[in-house]
Amino acid sequence: MIAGDIFHRQPLLRELKEMNSVLASAVDTEVVMIAGNHDFIKKDSYYRSFRWADNVHMILDDKISCVELEKIQTAVYGCSYYKREIKDAVFDKAFPKKRQKYEILLAHGGDEKHIPFQYRSLAELGYDYVALGHIHMPQILIENQVAYAGALEPVDTGDTGAHGFMAGEITEQGCRIQFVPFASRQYIHMDVEVNRKMTGYLLKNQIRKQIEDLGVQNIYKITLTGFRDPDMIYNLEDMDPCGNIVGITDHTKPAYQLQKLMEENRDNILGQFIESLNGNDQDSIEYQALCEGVQALMETRRG
Amino acid sequence: MKIRELILKNFGKFTDRHIQLDDGINILYGENESGKSTIHTFIRGMFYGMERGRGRAAVNDTYSIYEPWENSNFYSGSLRFESGGKVFRIDRNFDRYSKKAELICEDDGELLSIEEGDLEMLLGGLRAESYDNTVSVQQLKVQTSQSLAGELRNYATNYYTSGTAGIDLESAMKKLQEKKKEQEHTIKDALIQRQQKREYIEQEASYVWRDVHRLECEAANIDEELKHRREREKSEDEYREEPNKRVVDELRPSKWRIHPIEIIVFAVIIALAFVIISKPWNYLVSIVIFLLCLIYVWNRMKVGKKQEKTPPELILEEITPEEEKISLEQLEWERIHLRAELKEKKIQYENLQEQLAELDEVGQEFRENDRKCQAIQLAMDRLQELSETMQKKMKKELDEKASEIISQITDGKYEKLLIDENLHISLMSHGRRVDIEQVSRGTVEQIYFALRMSAGSFLQEEDLPVILDDTFAYYDDERLMETLRWLADHKSQVLIFTCQKREEQLLKEMGIEIKREEI
Repeated sequence: MIAGDIFHRQPLLRELKEMNSVLASAVDTEVVMIAGNHDFIKKDSYYRSFRWADNVHMILDDKISCVELEKIQTAVYGCSYYKREIKDAVFDKAFPKKRQKYEILLAHGGDEKHIPFQYRSLAELGYDYVALGHIHMPQILIENQVAYAGALEPVDTGDTGAHGFMAGEITEQGCRIQFVPFASRQYIHMDVEVNRKMTGYLLKNQIRKQIEDLGVQNIYKITLTGFRDPDMIYNLEDMDPCGNIVGITDHTKPAYQLQKLMEENRDNILGQFIESLNGNDQDSIEYQALCEGVQALMETRRG
Repeated sequence: MKIRELILKNFGKFTDRHIQLDDGINILYGENESGKSTIHTFIRGMFYGMERGRGRAAVNDTYSIYEPWENSNFYSGSLRFESGGKVFRIDRNFDRYSKKAELICEDDGELLSIEEGDLEMLLGGLRAESYDNTVSVQQLKVQTSQSLAGELRNYATNYYTSGTAGIDLESAMKKLQEKKKEQEHTIKDALIQRQQKREYIEQEASYVWRDVHRLECEAANIDEELKHRREREKSEDEYREEPNKRVVDELRPSKWRIHPIEIIVFAVIIALAFVIISKPWNYLVSIVIFLLCLIYVWNRMKVGKKQEKTPPELILEEITPEEEKISLEQLEWERIHLRAELKEKKIQYENLQEQLAELDEVGQEFRENDRKCQAIQLAMDRLQELSETMQKKMKKELDEKASEIISQITDGKYEKLLIDENLHISLMSHGRRVDIEQVSRGTVEQIYFALRMSAGSFLQEEDLPVILDDTFAYYDDERLMETLRWLADHKSQVLIFTCQKREEQLLKEMGIEIKREEI
């Protein structure tokens, strides 16, 4: 079951050929697929004319239609995208038509611009299983009933967590699915907290340790948090002990005791500066300005 | 805070010298070279320590100058002072072997730590620089009144912009500016990188576009060729039919050039001519008819063989190599193939365009950098704003205070001290403006005194003693009297170092109690 967006853009013929040969090589496997919002069926899309292998069935309709797989007594319902966005709630009344013993809905989207739906109401339509696509993160919305399979592999650095596919079985007892982690690497957004005593060397070790704990095979995006020694400047380019970091963002704040500083310097510009910007949220631009200003004043202080 | 006792155990020329000090005005009288400045330095050294310089600089530094004349390994003293109702004692050893500094509260015997800023706290947070600028007033170390005004201006600049705490606003602003530039640089770099990426994609797109164009041309050529060939085929077909539109040709099947019937007809005609016409003419006529028929047949045969070709066609035929004379089916096949490739390339091109459009979306990193830039700008703006308002406020207060002092000292001759934006100082005398360059050395000293005293009241939280080292040399008796009166009224402890007796006399005349100590 391929719930759309198997290609990020319009597929080329050679790409379809490639994919077809892969799918055709799957023994005793029937493939049903639809087009999503990224690889939507344009006027001259190859999806329209491509001849798939016998075991691959693409639902090309923009209305909900059905592929019947008599051999396995299953009917798969679904529709393909013909434009980038579909704001109609297409699945609201897409009840199964009882064509086969087992019935599956294959759907793409879920947000307001891509066929909005509530997964609970999808579950109530009466399918044995609803296979969803669009969101890259795999998630089982209703146990054994509704799930996003997610991208097979993480597609960009924002696709954190494990990736793979949903494997399941529908029998007379019902449907059972489970997530199969398939991608060997994942992107991990990791916070590394620094403290006053942390030098660049110690920080690098800390990063190494945290990476080793979470797995060296993974790829990391690191955010430094916490309060650093005000005099400390970390060289972010030299913080990749294992060669698997795609980015480090420094969100550390200088460990000034602002309240104390403010009281001590009430009579001069430092104190007044702190006072004028104090009390803002730590994520606000004012707080950042406060840190920058205090740091500059403290660093250039005489004596 | 009040200084109670100075104990110079071994300092400069003094050995085990005790000096008691009282509230109010203390006059420390001494001849030239009696050691007044030594005591002055001692007090500063007790409060802020005295570091030995290194290398050549050490020869004439304060440490060396006041190194005890005898027994220089023992270089120490104590100072007792009262603060907040408690008496404290500072003990310091200055010599390099037993260097130490202790602060003890004599009332409860508690040992306080100078390193951790207990002394600084007792001094009301007054730092060494500010101490030099306010508590201790030495004679101006400048010769001409011109540079004196400059000195004064420098002092005012420093004071106005930063006050105490050693804050250097200018450097801080410079630092922020640098940081901002750096940040902008990163943003620019990121933009350049993105631009490079964009150019790369654009280049790729242009290649694909060129391919698309080439394929389109080729496809168009093939279409043309096909069309041409089809037309020619058609016209050839037509041509074959066209020239024989006569009755005979209608009868004759097209693939035959000469119909057998024609030959039979010819034969019959010849035979008839032979039979009908009498001898001997029949021979002649038959031969002539036969020849005519022969010519006709031969002509027919010739027409069938010859394909009519136009000159350009002939040329084309000559220049087209044999292998390019491809068959129609082959052309047809090529056309389909080209069309497919063209479609593929077009999709690829559109995908690239999409990618370009997505590139325009602002990235997270860019936003973060931009934010940081904004934050730095905000910090700078805010500092600028604050410093301006502070300057204005402090200037106003300082002006008022200094004006009050100068007015009292000069007995109302000068009502007001004015400091303009360029820190140029002038005085108001009976509604007339007088520049500092125009007034006497004594008056400049008095302005300086007034400024220091008024600055002191801003910089100190504690009411600290005022130490005046030969400050009044240029003052006339009247102004000195007013100055002393002001000091007695406003300051709780004043230490006057002098080599003259007139301060003492004047104070006695005014009926102000003093403590006199001869050095």
